[in-house]
Amino acid sequence: MYQWFLALFLSSSVTFAHPLRLSLCEIEFYSKKNLLSVNLKLFLTDVNEALVFDPYSKELAFCQPNEHSDADKMLMDYLNRFFYVKFNKKKIGLEIKKKKLSGQGDNTALWIYLEKSVEGKFNSMEIKNAVFTDLFYDQNNIVYIHVNDESKSIMLNKETSTYELNF
Amino acid sequence: MKNKLLIITASYVFAIGCNNDKNQSEEELIKRAHEIHSKVLTLDTHADTPLRMIEPGFDMSVRHDPKETGSKVDYPRMKEGDLDAIFFAAFVAQDIRDDDGNGRAKSLCLQMIDSITTSIDRNSDKVGLALNPDDAYALEKEGKHAIYIGIENGYPIGSDISNVELYFNKGVRYITLVHSSNNDLADSATDPDGMEHNGISDLGSKVIGEMNRLGIMVDVSHGNDSVFYDAIKISKAPIIASHSNAREVTNHKRNFTDEMLKLIAKNRGVVQLTMLSNYLREAKPNIKRDSALAAFRSNMKAVSEMNVDERDDYRKKINLINKQYPDPSANVGHVVDHIDHIVKIAGIDHVGIGCDFDGGGGIDGVYDVSEIKNITVELVRRGYNEAQIEKIWGGNLLRVFREVQAYAEKVRTNSI
Repeated sequence: MYQWFLALFLSSSVTFAHPLRLSLCEIEFYSKKNLLSVNLKLFLTDVNEALVFDPYSKELAFCQPNEHSDADKMLMDYLNRFFYVKFNKKKIGLEIKKKKLSGQGDNTALWIYLEKSVEGKFNSMEIKNAVFTDLFYDQNNIVYIHVNDESKSIMLNKETSTYELNF
Repeated sequence: MKNKLLIITASYVFAIGCNNDKNQSEEELIKRAHEIHSKVLTLDTHADTPLRMIEPGFDMSVRHDPKETGSKVDYPRMKEGDLDAIFFAAFVAQDIRDDDGNGRAKSLCLQMIDSITTSIDRNSDKVGLALNPDDAYALEKEGKHAIYIGIENGYPIGSDISNVELYFNKGVRYITLVHSSNNDLADSATDPDGMEHNGISDLGSKVIGEMNRLGIMVDVSHGNDSVFYDAIKISKAPIIASHSNAREVTNHKRNFTDEMLKLIAKNRGVVQLTMLSNYLREAKPNIKRDSALAAFRSNMKAVSEMNVDERDDYRKKINLINKQYPDPSANVGHVVDHIDHIVKIAGIDHVGIGCDFDGGGGIDGVYDVSEIKNITVELVRRGYNEAQIEKIWGGNLLRVFREVQAYAEKVRTNSI
């Protein structure tokens, strides 16, 4: 039931240069659908800083008609270093299905929707979310996990970047 | 006017003191401020610390280094800062507004509330759950910190008003109607799509009625201006802004205009000052850092030609430049500039403190909860006396809380 048009989330203090270092992630898995979906909401300035070392770079032009041909590859290269979902200790090869921008100026967010079909009986799910902890010591990543009809929220950061959920 | 006179008088006395022995006078001032801070009940109305509580392994009983971890509140630092009471806000980010989304939001909100009560249970020698205004004083007498619970964002109420009572029974004593984007109850000050309900929706109005009936404070922080005006009209009890500042001092749409400040005084409500730099002062460009970064980038290899090791090396160097030239933060002087202004416009009975620690709050001199005494020092420096500081540090909020409960009691006893 995951829908793309999630309403805008911005943290309480997210203003100019968003001093609160935060990202939002929703992970959804319904065993009957055999589908793992991940929706990441990241500040565009952070994405640009992480990928091309310039928060205000126009080079990658995400979601624009002139989006760089390697934009998705660079994004996945970065995410593969700092983010994963594992089932039964095995990393799932997520693929970008959609992206969109929301908000304005320094508050512009890049939404990245990834998914992967997964089949089998799973005993555990492990999540790593250390995005932007290479940029900011105080980066916090809220992760909402929805597995079948159970929901749980966790906070991951530089010190605690992984979490394991046993079914 | 009275306050201005106080400030002028205090400044004069302070200046005379300085002429005699500047260091001694400063020491005396700090000593006096710390004595006042220790004596009055100190209450912070807004901390997003439950977000920390859901971090695997995070222990509230252990002191954390804020410069290493970013954490701003734990129980040892509450003791260091001599903070007697705090509202921990259960926060759920706005998501899909349908039955499934509402159900998930409720589930996540209950988990956040559980994380607070679990932390209280595990640290019952240091803290206690507070449900009523007087609980803060009772717990203080026991040598414990009072933990109140709020909800930031009315989204987890969904379309089922009975959830308000469920949260009340869990200990929730204020609800922030909306967060950074519109929900079914109210419009946000910061939704990029603008207004949806012209303030508070019909459902939001019913929710406020239920909050009034139960004795939950209505929090209008994060709402747009129309939400504020609607809440004033709809609520039968005074309202609060758990973390908002003065727009005349810093032009930000999350802050309150002078007209709103006057109206909240008339409403007998309270605005709780928050420690978010961008709500406290206009940000200035960081020219030295920007020049250093521009120079560095101009000599950088093309990103597409970098291998992972080279990327990591560039990252380290850029992080070093950012560390060398940090963005100048707001300071405690800015905080008290806002307090001065609110006192001038609304009066001393309508201002308090809600730092928003662990939600972006933290400035030079008040970086975490261990440093909150510096607010009291600045208040004393500006001439505020003990009675005024007592009101700012919790008296005003608890007065509103009592009025909210008194209204609920009248409803309960059918005297309204």
